[in-house]
Amino acid sequence: MEPLNEVTVIWGAELWRSIRSAKAIILLALYLMFTAMAVAIQVFIFRSIQTNINEQLALHGGSMDALQPQIEEVRHGFLGWLLGGDETLIESIAQVPLIVLVTFKITLYFLPIYIAIIGFDQISGEIGPRSIRYLTVRARRSSILWGKYLSQATLLAGLVLVVDVALVLVARWMTPSFQLGVMAGTFLKCWVAATVFSLSYVALSTLCSSLFRSPAVSLVFNILTLFGLWLVNKIGESAAGFMVQEAALAQARGEEAPAPSRVATVLSWLQYVSPSHYSDNLLHPHFLKFLGSTAIYAGFAAAFLACGYAVLRRRDL
Amino acid sequence: MSDAPAIELTRVSRWFNGGAVRAVDDVSFAVPGGECFGLIGPNGAGKTTSFSMMCGYLRPTHGQLRVMGEDPGKAGALKRRVGVLPQDAVLPFGVKVGWLLTYWGKLSGLPQPEREAKESLEKMGLPNAWGMEPQELSHGMGKRVAMAQALMGTPPVLLLDEPTSGLDPKIAAQVRGVIREAKGKQTVVVSSHNLQELEELCDRAAILDRGKLQQVGTISELTSRSAEFRVQIAKGTVPLEELKGLKGCTGASLPQASMLVVQFDAKVLPDEEMITATLQLLIARGVFVLGVSRGRKLEERILELGDAPVAQAQVVSAT
Repeated sequence: MEPLNEVTVIWGAELWRSIRSAKAIILLALYLMFTAMAVAIQVFIFRSIQTNINEQLALHGGSMDALQPQIEEVRHGFLGWLLGGDETLIESIAQVPLIVLVTFKITLYFLPIYIAIIGFDQISGEIGPRSIRYLTVRARRSSILWGKYLSQATLLAGLVLVVDVALVLVARWMTPSFQLGVMAGTFLKCWVAATVFSLSYVALSTLCSSLFRSPAVSLVFNILTLFGLWLVNKIGESAAGFMVQEAALAQARGEEAPAPSRVATVLSWLQYVSPSHYSDNLLHPHFLKFLGSTAIYAGFAAAFLACGYAVLRRRDL
Repeated sequence: MSDAPAIELTRVSRWFNGGAVRAVDDVSFAVPGGECFGLIGPNGAGKTTSFSMMCGYLRPTHGQLRVMGEDPGKAGALKRRVGVLPQDAVLPFGVKVGWLLTYWGKLSGLPQPEREAKESLEKMGLPNAWGMEPQELSHGMGKRVAMAQALMGTPPVLLLDEPTSGLDPKIAAQVRGVIREAKGKQTVVVSSHNLQELEELCDRAAILDRGKLQQVGTISELTSRSAEFRVQIAKGTVPLEELKGLKGCTGASLPQASMLVVQFDAKVLPDEEMITATLQLLIARGVFVLGVSRGRKLEERILELGDAPVAQAQVVSAT
């Protein structure tokens, strides 16, 4: 029970320290500002499209109702591109305003960087000035790692909650048809998905923070790692896309699909290396698919934390 | 307090850079429970490395180290067993001292962490630091807060690295008082450059030089208190040859014109008789004496290390 008590004490204390610090308030403000910017840009784009449609309707005659099937088709195609073409998933979020989904996707894209900024100094910030020496005579190094990780994850879950509440409220204000029940469901889905998604990236920042004595070096390394994961993911996705395209072209020509090259196959596997690859299923209506994705994120988090502990356990303090 | 060693180093070495730097090299000594033990040596002697290994901050490259019978590197081994004052660890900023000490008390599993924190701060003469943040504290106050956290819960072993460095004389005396109070009840290991302080506080000490253990024993043994004394001469000609002829005298010299050093065999003649006989002879020969001090200063013992080759450890008293 003692390790569990240690983790609980460190978790509570570190969370309290984080909440009280100006850093948490600044980061929340940054996150809100960034989300507001994403919403504002979308509002501008949607309004421009709406104005354009209205002008066309005024010029050529016709009504908005007549255009509804085309608008739905465009929306469907856009969601397919945004969420990976899973029909069940697209169907389940038909009632959700586009602005919520797009903003959610954008925030997921930048959440890892945000997490790196929040958590880069969680361990290295104690090793550099050696304040960790006050902790290691009182608690196991594993408890310190877990306590710090959980406090960062909790802080992030709180920040995401505030931002997601704000997002659905803004969406409701802009889209009166966005009903309360759908609103609550959307908020819950987005919040749980973003929190599960964050677990692995918080663990990655814990690992990067365990590797170095200097918080600045931890931050740089964390961001470089994120860039590396993004690049690897993009290379993998491009290779997979290329293989699909080749097969489609062959099919269009009425030929048999060529066997994918070995290089393209190996490169396509790279997309599975990045945790971000598994994010779409976090919104999936089928519980098992959601659970599968959650398990993968938990697996990434466990692997990163295990590496972080292996480093911290052997480290001279 | 049991006779089993509270701390035991057996052929402990700590190397860096693949053995290129041997910060601690094959060091063995033991600290019995309830003793105040000093770690002495010039810069680079290996004191901080030895201290850090006792606290579990570093792991030995070779050898075995036990604190209260446990390997300090083992997870949770030092919990509630050891209070540590690390030399250069910064107190975390952005929280109140009272909160910080209570947090650490909780982490140590103390039943009444807040009360322990308050009592420790009071013991260090800092009850008003409770509501202050570490960045608001002076160096001396910060040091005493760090000392207070080590004292919380009265752990059986106290490891104090430079406990009085940077403190004004009054506060330093207060800290020494706290250490003196702990002697006998807790095992205290003090690493310090203040040799006068160590002479005053410690029962025994280990002298380290360039990673090697030079000598370990009681302070009296380390300073040859029972085998040597010094006489400060005001004026007159010292009869060196006559002094050497005294019963029990093994040597007499004048390293400075005003300083006579006499070595003797305490088994032949006890200290007081040897000193009296020497003074009687000096006075009889018209030599004026300003004072007598037993043994060498610990400082002189350390200065002797100077460029001397690193010798095999001389264990003056076994534990």
